[in-house]
Amino acid sequence: MTSNNTILRFGLFHRFGHFLIIISFFGLVLTGMPLVFKEYAWARFLYNLMGGYPTAGNIHRICALITFLAAFLHFAFLTFETLVRKNRNIFWGPESLLIQPKDILNILGDVLWFFRLGKRPQFDRYIYWEKFEYLSLMWGTMVMGVTGFILWFPVQSASLIPAYVATFIDLPSIALVAHRYEALLAAGFIFSIHFLHTHLLPENIPVDEAMFTGRIDEGHMKHERGAYYERLKEEGQLEELKVQPASRKAKFVSKMMGLPLLAVGLLMVGFMLSSLICSIIFVLADLTKNINFDIFSVFAF
Amino acid sequence: MVSLLKTTIDVFGDSKVCRFAFISCLYSCLLFFTSSFSLENLCAQDNSECLECHTDPAEVDVKVRIDHVTGEVEIVSMLVDADAYHASAHGGEDFYCIDCHADLEGSEGEHYPNLQPVDCITFCHDDPAETFLEGSHANLMREKGVALPTCKHCHAGEKSKRDTPRADNLYHRMDTIEKCGGCHTKYYHSYRNNLHGQVTAMGHVGTDIATCVDCHGQHTILNSSDPESTLGPENAKETCGKCHPGASDSFIKHVAHPQYKNLGYYKSAIVALLNIRKDPGQVKSIIKSPQIILTILFVMYVGILVITFAQFGTHMLLSWLGTLLDERKGKESEHDK
Repeated sequence: MTSNNTILRFGLFHRFGHFLIIISFFGLVLTGMPLVFKEYAWARFLYNLMGGYPTAGNIHRICALITFLAAFLHFAFLTFETLVRKNRNIFWGPESLLIQPKDILNILGDVLWFFRLGKRPQFDRYIYWEKFEYLSLMWGTMVMGVTGFILWFPVQSASLIPAYVATFIDLPSIALVAHRYEALLAAGFIFSIHFLHTHLLPENIPVDEAMFTGRIDEGHMKHERGAYYERLKEEGQLEELKVQPASRKAKFVSKMMGLPLLAVGLLMVGFMLSSLICSIIFVLADLTKNINFDIFSVFAF
Repeated sequence: MVSLLKTTIDVFGDSKVCRFAFISCLYSCLLFFTSSFSLENLCAQDNSECLECHTDPAEVDVKVRIDHVTGEVEIVSMLVDADAYHASAHGGEDFYCIDCHADLEGSEGEHYPNLQPVDCITFCHDDPAETFLEGSHANLMREKGVALPTCKHCHAGEKSKRDTPRADNLYHRMDTIEKCGGCHTKYYHSYRNNLHGQVTAMGHVGTDIATCVDCHGQHTILNSSDPESTLGPENAKETCGKCHPGASDSFIKHVAHPQYKNLGYYKSAIVALLNIRKDPGQVKSIIKSPQIILTILFVMYVGILVITFAQFGTHMLLSWLGTLLDERKGKESEHDK
């Protein structure tokens, strides 16, 4: 028996879902984010690069449909697992992506570890911040989907509410505000926090290939998700999950896909952050415009 | 020299060449006569006479012009860009320079330097001028003592004021937003916060995206609270319906100028809250307007953004630091063994 120490972490279905989300998310951000930072030259350049007014909007809508497809596949998977396979692990237990009591303990343990007061807790299949990322993705997709549809069909959606309510609740405007700031939240989160947490950690730099090849090294897994590894060993599932290591080709392809996306994302977050700082400085300058405080007056006496 | 003369005589001695030269001469004469005898040229001076000098940088120079309304001094080039002029609203076949510069009618050759200002209204554009000058916008400006703009203030071409743009000219549509926004700064910024303003800020100003004039009217500019205006309850459905077919009663309640990024809005809200005992109506009107929901949503989202990034950013930095320290520790303990 050959010594095989590669473990399958993500099946083909989940990798495909993640791939769909990557494509659509980048398309959505590149065509949508310029509209938020409309005052800045990079935004205008990027928007025209993506095809200008009708084209960029159409790309945005196509990408939105791809996101809906991914969401549909995900919920179909959840229904299939719960109703047909009677798999209860999805909602409760160590395999679940929902917040469990143990995660609270893990967070507290991690806080202690930050201040060097203890060892890092052993994580199970999903670490608590991955669960937050998953839940915020679910919430974000829901908000973006609903508000996006309102903006896509403003006349029809405005007709859903009677005119006397519309004088207080203007659906398209509310949808625009929610869509814009939820987008800032999502793009900023994915391009900074998600990238730093998974790909740019000291042990994974530059790209964590687990989501592209689906495979993870046994030693790496033992270090990253100790509790999961021990549990698999006890239950005897470890041998079942062992697969052939990823071919060099697959590793190369996943690096070639991951690195440009990483670069584009970090570039976007750089642009967004610098523009945000500029805007805040403008607001502060505007606020202090009427204050005639002469710094040299201290030398007057 | 003599040999050159000889060869030319030889060539013209050839009968074929001679015939060809004669026929081409005749043909060009015919062309010249037909062109100069066309109907319009009999009645008016040709533009080409003016353009002969006014397209030649050696013939004409720059001139200082003082706007007789605003007193603005500018240096204007007297050169005419023929292509830009022909693309302009007055560049068609049946327009002549002297139609507008009427004081030059009948003059030939060099003319005196200071012409009369062009009168757009008297003979041609009396309708829009009347609706503008008697509209509430112009009246309000007179009341406030603001100098009324002339036609040429808004209808100025990209490179020269003379190239009056057509209504759907992209530069003109962009310029109108800036010119309206020059006075109505508050509304300009809130327009930029709305979807229409976002797209026009990207440089797309085609007729499929609303600029100021598409909603507020072009020359008859009335306050939007006026029922007669294009945004009055009766007319708004038609105005919005130009782009959004089937605009309903609830659709026209759209907040086109959201105030949630306007510092003045927050200031007035604070003042209203401070005066709540004296004048509760102020607070009521703020709460009743649709702006309040947008503002609450905006402030909420800013809060969420700040909290999320502060929290996860710290978490990120600390876990990076922790991992690096752990690695160093592991190396040291290996070293000890």
